[in-house]
Amino acid sequence: MLVSLLRNATLRPFLLLVLMTAILGAIGGERVLSTRTLYSVLQQFSLLGPVALALGLTMMVRHFDLSVVGTVTLAGCVAVLAGSQSSTYGLALAALVGLAAGAFQGALIINLRLSSIAVTLGGMLTLVGVAFLLTGNSEVAYANRDVARIVDSTVFGPFSLRFLIAVAIFAVAGAVIGGTRFGPQLYAVGSDPKAAIVAGVSTGSIVVAVFALSGLLSAISGALLSFSLSAASPSALSNILVPAAASAIIGGVSLAGGRGSPVGIAGGVLLLCCLQSGLTAIGVEPYSQDIATGCVLLLVAVMDGAELARRFGDWSRVFAGTQKRNGKAST
Amino acid sequence: MNSKADVTRQTWLDFLNVKPRFTLGNAVTLLAVLVLAVLAVATPGFLSLPAIRSLVTTVSFTGCVAIGMTFITLSGNLMSFSLGASLSAATLVFVATLGAGLWPAILSALLFCAALNALQGWIVGYFRANPIIVTMAGFAIITGIATAMTGGRGLYILTNAAAGLKGNIGPIPGPFAAFATCALIAQLILSRTALGRRIVLTGTNPRAMLAMGAEPWKAVVWSYGLAGLFTGVAAVLMAARYGSGDLQHGIGMEYSAIAAVLVGGTAIEGGRGSFLRTFLGALFIAVLQSVLVLRGFSTEWQRFGMGAVVLLVILLQRK
Repeated sequence: MLVSLLRNATLRPFLLLVLMTAILGAIGGERVLSTRTLYSVLQQFSLLGPVALALGLTMMVRHFDLSVVGTVTLAGCVAVLAGSQSSTYGLALAALVGLAAGAFQGALIINLRLSSIAVTLGGMLTLVGVAFLLTGNSEVAYANRDVARIVDSTVFGPFSLRFLIAVAIFAVAGAVIGGTRFGPQLYAVGSDPKAAIVAGVSTGSIVVAVFALSGLLSAISGALLSFSLSAASPSALSNILVPAAASAIIGGVSLAGGRGSPVGIAGGVLLLCCLQSGLTAIGVEPYSQDIATGCVLLLVAVMDGAELARRFGDWSRVFAGTQKRNGKAST
Repeated sequence: MNSKADVTRQTWLDFLNVKPRFTLGNAVTLLAVLVLAVLAVATPGFLSLPAIRSLVTTVSFTGCVAIGMTFITLSGNLMSFSLGASLSAATLVFVATLGAGLWPAILSALLFCAALNALQGWIVGYFRANPIIVTMAGFAIITGIATAMTGGRGLYILTNAAAGLKGNIGPIPGPFAAFATCALIAQLILSRTALGRRIVLTGTNPRAMLAMGAEPWKAVVWSYGLAGLFTGVAAVLMAARYGSGDLQHGIGMEYSAIAAVLVGGTAIEGGRGSFLRTFLGALFIAVLQSVLVLRGFSTEWQRFGMGAVVLLVILLQRK
């Protein structure tokens, strides 16, 4: 029963989360299981969550969107620069820029039949370049500091507005994928694009839509982060790609496509954020979070390896063989 | 391609197994190179000796990493996210072992970097694990361990031991000579050895490798190991040049390297490409950067121009 639960990719991160919280709680006690830690976990979730969802969606259709880094950076700068009068306008414009950048890259990938890694690498460099251009290679402060308070102050319990927006994004994504035709079409494109075409799915528009969504989600996350920091910088945040990919993969998304769900990704993000905040609360140095993230990522990569079962079979045969030979020698 | 008529008039391009073909894409590429060349020559200050020397010195560091990256791309494993971190770690190893002498330090940095990446290659190849995830994990673990061991501080070369690596060979800066040699050696490995053919075959069709009776994972381990080796060369050159081993040295290097690989025209899906292409790709980017600087564009315009050009070149390579 436990094995079947662990095999459920959506539930796995949540089970691991409970396990890890128990361990960290046992070690750290009060320091870990406090509202402050919870708040910091949720704040991290609201930054990482939408980006991980963006990356995860593109991975579910067998692509990979490196440009999320660029979109987060650019959207942050756009939101601060355009939102000096009205933060809503800044957020809307940033979201629009992200949507357009994502859709454009998706269209290039589909229409020119180019690899998504190559296109989004170029896209990432260009988007960061635009961010440098807009800000004039400097950090831009956001004068409207009330927005930071509104975005980050808790609405009820430990939940801030930013976190609620992130949760709403996940809820909408889960509902759309679970309840509309878009979901099955997305999985069809991800698991077997040719079969999807035969089944009458417009694979091209699905992929473009996914990239547009990816741009939109990363942009919202980037814009809200800038509001929360009351500043935007073109050279910040280059290290969001690894945690985003890690949480999507821990959440059950496969780079081979066709597997994963928004709920699973949310679980993956939560797991990673809890791990990081928990370790910080215990007082472990920040670098061990890197090591921990890397080890988890490596473990998942090996466990999802296409030939793990075969290699295991090889080893057990070799091992059994030596035992037999030893047995013969002794008799 | 290798008909008997060709064999009679072999050139050095044949020896290296590079076959220029004239297609629309190549014509556009040629035009871009010509435009850039004219622009460069017309830029005041570009053709001065100090400017060219500094240009070819800076390109060498990214170039060596790009040579390494090309092995990974050719073997069908897209790109490695950990080459920058490996480079940083190898600069630290180089500086830390410099007390034992220059050659032991070079050797240990190269071996360390090669082993680090061969290990990732083994995981990728042996278990058919995803190369993106494995190298991202490699990046996080290498960065984490290196930070833990150094406390995030750099190590400085206090003696004169590595000064020989900063020198020139005739009029050519040492790093550039090393870069060109690396490109040549890598190209020779690719086109004149069985290993090179296996790496390309693994990138084109790993099942055919199995059918042939060869294990694809061995070729993958070799390509990652060689990638690490050439990244190690970059690490030694950088550590000698800047007089330090530092975790900052390799930041973002993997992106510049893969940009050079793709601009050179090596196919991201593996199996097609060459090291001469990567060499030219790295030079193209460096010349463009230098022209932008000399024409007085600010940093932000340079960043934007680089991004746009990389995107454009990638778009031009459609099949």
